[in-house]
Amino acid sequence: MNEFREVTPGGKPFKKAYVALMLWFVGRAIQAAAKVDGDVKKEFEKLPEGFTFCLGVMPHGPYMIVGKDRKERVKYMGWRREGRSIDLDMKIKNIEAAILMFTFQEGTAVATARDRMVVDGEVPYACAIVRVLDIGEVYLLPKIIARLAVKRYPVWSFGRKYIGRVRIYFRSIVGY
Amino acid sequence: MFFPDNYEFFCPTKINSGKRALEQIPFELDALNARKPLIITDKETAKKGLVKKITGAFRDSGIAVGIFDGVPPVPDLELIRGLANNYRDAGCDSTIAVGGGAVVDAAKALNIVVSGRPEDLKAFAGEDLIENSLRPLVFVPTPLGTGFETSRFATLEELTFSSPFLMPDLVVIDPRMMTAERPAELISTAMIALAHCAEAYTCPAKNPMTDTYAYAGMRFIGENLANVIRSDDKDGRLALANAAAMAGIAFSNTPRGIIHEVGWALGDASGLPPGICMGILLPYGLGYRMNSEGYHLSDMLLPLAGAEIYVGTEENLRARKAISVIREMQHDVRDAAGGDIPLTLKDAGIAKDALAGVAGTAAGDGAAGFSVDDCLVILEHAWEGKSITSS
Repeated sequence: MNEFREVTPGGKPFKKAYVALMLWFVGRAIQAAAKVDGDVKKEFEKLPEGFTFCLGVMPHGPYMIVGKDRKERVKYMGWRREGRSIDLDMKIKNIEAAILMFTFQEGTAVATARDRMVVDGEVPYACAIVRVLDIGEVYLLPKIIARLAVKRYPVWSFGRKYIGRVRIYFRSIVGY
Repeated sequence: MFFPDNYEFFCPTKINSGKRALEQIPFELDALNARKPLIITDKETAKKGLVKKITGAFRDSGIAVGIFDGVPPVPDLELIRGLANNYRDAGCDSTIAVGGGAVVDAAKALNIVVSGRPEDLKAFAGEDLIENSLRPLVFVPTPLGTGFETSRFATLEELTFSSPFLMPDLVVIDPRMMTAERPAELISTAMIALAHCAEAYTCPAKNPMTDTYAYAGMRFIGENLANVIRSDDKDGRLALANAAAMAGIAFSNTPRGIIHEVGWALGDASGLPPGICMGILLPYGLGYRMNSEGYHLSDMLLPLAGAEIYVGTEENLRARKAISVIREMQHDVRDAAGGDIPLTLKDAGIAKDALAGVAGTAAGDGAAGFSVDDCLVILEHAWEGKSITSS
């Protein structure tokens, strides 16, 4: 029976770090987009007071928490989910699936269709957040990449797309 | 479409197929309440680095795994007892079988032992003697298999186990596991799958659920087998692995057919791979059933040849046409493999006087619903290569 052995597989620190960075930036970009973009603002207005959602990777993260504070402002709330009440929990099943999504080889809608994610929460809320993520990706990414990531690339005015992009990047970087 | 008055269909198997499918295993094990799997495979599979791909899928999961990569071509009870000790000592709670054939037989037998008492293994041999569900079993196919892996059957030494609880809980088909193999081995697996699909799709006991699996299986094999041999097409290999998984499920929900039984007995008697035997027998076995009451051979033309040929063929000629499409496919596959695949039993080196013994073994006590004479007619035609529909 010398063919038997036990193995403890290691981690994937670089992939986790990349996904953590992307989630951090996307979280701040959603906060910015809720101030800059009318459609994102409206999506959040429809969500209940104090609504909080988490997007992360199973089994041990990283995570991104975004929610509405007491003044109804959309805020990126960091990556720690402990002690928070999460209304919508969107988990990518593993780090490789997250890499496919965050390297834009698979859009959010495609990843969902391929069962890469588990959603715990109300479906209408999940649909609203997927729409917000899609809008965020259109702002953050050049068209050639964003059209791979979103379900349908929108037709926007020059002002909305490019001025909005500059404002969202600026706000995301400074965290305002 | 045929719709029976009543039917039963049982399939506990979840299929997870495609890009990065291996990485889903930790999540799926968690859903099955399993925390520590034992990976079992053979030396050949381990040598190709395929076990590393599985353990790689557990990185970042926090799950430790046991690995046994020494399953011999013919596993025995002693191996299973040793494996069961490893399983328990390491605190394992689930099994991942990587490869096919003997590996999966060993995994299924191990699963019986670790879910009950080791001394009980022989008591479970037979039909439906396993009364409760077993520990989680995951099957990761490679191109080398027998086509029985997803089925309700397992064999160990002289013991045959048959129970729906032996069907794997999860089949994970990942393109990274689809390494190139020798054409004869690939063809053998595909032909078993095709024979199982064809018999499930045409037999009187078919139902809409077995039809669904068998239809898709036949289409995948017809569309991909020759291409895979010619061009080592990875997507085609993935489709063939899916077809084999589907065939096993369809096969588990219909009675074993004459092609399966004769092919298996012929393989045992001659030492040829059972898949090659079933491939040779397939057009003759189907031809023999063409005019039998309750068989649905004409339906088979649609998955094998597509809608255009199906609608362009008169209804009373569709069965004959379906058989000729299988023959054409087999010739195409043989040419793609460099002419190395026998299409008659004579070419395969089977002695004609051995056929009667094979027919006797296949027919058994007649409980399967066919006689020694039925088997012998098919074998004799397959030996000569003489179309059975013209006799």
